[in-house]
Amino acid sequence: MKAAAFEYVRPADLAGAVKALAGMPGEAKPLGGGQSLGPMLNLRLARPKLLVDVSRLESMRAIEDRGSLWRIGGAVTHSAIEDASLPGGEPLSSVARGIAYRTIRNRGTIGGSLAHADPAADWPLALPALGAEVVIAGPGGERRVTAATFMHGAFATALAEDELVVAVEVPKLSAGARWGYWKFCRKTGEFPEASAAVLLDAQRKVARLWVGALNGAPQPMEALAADLAQRGGLAASEDAVSRALERVAPDLDPAQRRLHITAVRRAVQQATE
Amino acid sequence: MQQIILTVNGEKVEALAEPRTHLGDFLREQQRLTGTHLGCEHGVCGACTVLIDGQPARSCISYAVACEGREVRTIEGFGDDAVMNELRAAFNKYHALQCGFCTPGMLIAARDLVLRVPDADEKRIRVEMSGNLCRCTGYMGIVRAVKSVIDARRAVNDPQIEAAPAAAPAAFTPFQAAAPAAPPAVPPTVPPTAAASAAPAPAAPAAAPAAKKPGTVIEDEFTVDHPLARVWEIFADMPAVAACLPGAEISEHTPTSLKGRITTKFGPMRAAFAGTAALERDEAVKSGAIRGNGTDSLSGSRARGDISYRLHDAGGGRTRVTVAIDYSLQGPLAQFSRGGLVKEFVKKMVADFAANLNARLGAPAGSAAAAAPAAQVDAGGFFWTWLWGRIKSLFGAK
Repeated sequence: MKAAAFEYVRPADLAGAVKALAGMPGEAKPLGGGQSLGPMLNLRLARPKLLVDVSRLESMRAIEDRGSLWRIGGAVTHSAIEDASLPGGEPLSSVARGIAYRTIRNRGTIGGSLAHADPAADWPLALPALGAEVVIAGPGGERRVTAATFMHGAFATALAEDELVVAVEVPKLSAGARWGYWKFCRKTGEFPEASAAVLLDAQRKVARLWVGALNGAPQPMEALAADLAQRGGLAASEDAVSRALERVAPDLDPAQRRLHITAVRRAVQQATE
Repeated sequence: MQQIILTVNGEKVEALAEPRTHLGDFLREQQRLTGTHLGCEHGVCGACTVLIDGQPARSCISYAVACEGREVRTIEGFGDDAVMNELRAAFNKYHALQCGFCTPGMLIAARDLVLRVPDADEKRIRVEMSGNLCRCTGYMGIVRAVKSVIDARRAVNDPQIEAAPAAAPAAFTPFQAAAPAAPPAVPPTVPPTAAASAAPAPAAPAAAPAAKKPGTVIEDEFTVDHPLARVWEIFADMPAVAACLPGAEISEHTPTSLKGRITTKFGPMRAAFAGTAALERDEAVKSGAIRGNGTDSLSGSRARGDISYRLHDAGGGRTRVTVAIDYSLQGPLAQFSRGGLVKEFVKKMVADFAANLNARLGAPAGSAAAAAPAAQVDAGGFFWTWLWGRIKSLFGAK
């Protein structure tokens, strides 16, 4: 359980990090807290030649209030988000609190989790539901993609090999916004078997419902979300959720379907009761 | 080796460390601080918990070089720390350890909990301590010990600590949601491959698998825009079949067996399974099977996979291919094989195999099939290598 040999660099700035990544295409990996990559390294499932430690880059470590949104640096740890007071971004703290264990949260980063793109992870589900944008840096400078389009599939994202997540920007919720989040974990802190997130923000006319822990990236249920906004929790009948789930995830086995339907309905209940 | 300077239990330490040396090994092997126990060494059990800059962390998945300049505190470094003294006494009193292997990690996690959540109730204690495993299963004693320290401190220090009453959320008021600005650009779970028309109907059973071994079975089907005889012929041409499987190489083959390798890359994971496969063909019913076994020598993972296929005349010079893939995986890769991921990868693999096959057979001019595979190959090989990889590397050991 010892990692295969790799080289390690800790560039002083973002440009240096991007340059280091671009210098060894396909062989270099950015290292955040290493809480997902570390196990894979130790099991020798991942054998990058170079780790580029971006966890101390100042520009990626800030939580900033930008008026209508919260900008969270890619190297901000889950526990920093858990402990922060984020008016209008309360779901960020509550989601962070539910990630794995405190020891993991103390080192794991939001950018690292997104880039790792585990289908059952929390941020790839919560951030699209919150309407976040992902700020990406690469040799060509900065670009942005919506969190809804960032993840392409299991462990596959919009990132090129020489790009990294420098921040996520999360629009603030209106005062009366309602949030629901549910996940089924076999053991506390494990990756969930089913998960769902709901945002109903009447003032901004935003209704989103996402389901996670699927075979690939979390998926939106837009029609059901719009219906929820109009009719409240009544819209999330067993049948309606089942039909919506069938459209975005037709391949679930019966037990998984049951868990996902229930996760969606419980998240909806939190957001509408 | 890299030179690092860090603080361990209050003392400055200057040392050489290989980048791959994790903090736990660095502490135990180089600093002789063997109070930090290594259990799973991949971040699951919590036995190796230490403080890094005052925050509990798993030393097995923190690399020593990444702790340059940090303050590390191990179980040896708590001396007469007040909370740790209370916890030690409580662990003793409530019999919170049996073999003691998890205890250093438990104590460090518990100390953080006592200080960070001074009003934790039993449920919260259980949730907060859930990242530390006790293989003697002595959780009752551990929870009681932690609770006794928290309760005693509350009684003495701050009887006023009460959970702030949560503000009751405003009642939900219905509203009309604005339509999303653009259609969702999230790719569908299974990317549609132009040539492979994924049929919504359940796949017809392919050739029955031979002797039943424990594994997961996935059935799928695709349609190739070529006549059955032509497809049957190419299925006998193992180098051609391998060329359609991303990452596959054949080193030797006979009509009934082959030796080869499949290189896979999936996110940060890589594996190269070398192995052999037996080939079967039944001309009469146009079905066949490829039964393979392979080992990834670097991770020590073993995979087994039986691919059974059957060709059906789909009319109009097209052939429908039904496949049943029965697989299992053992070893480290299996630990990352949450079953939910498997289906998608196998389906992608089948769809892309179909696209490659169509391209290789020469897709009809102007059809989307002609262009699609090449475009994906140009996407850097990354996509390709993990497709077939996942069928091997995600084989659930169920």
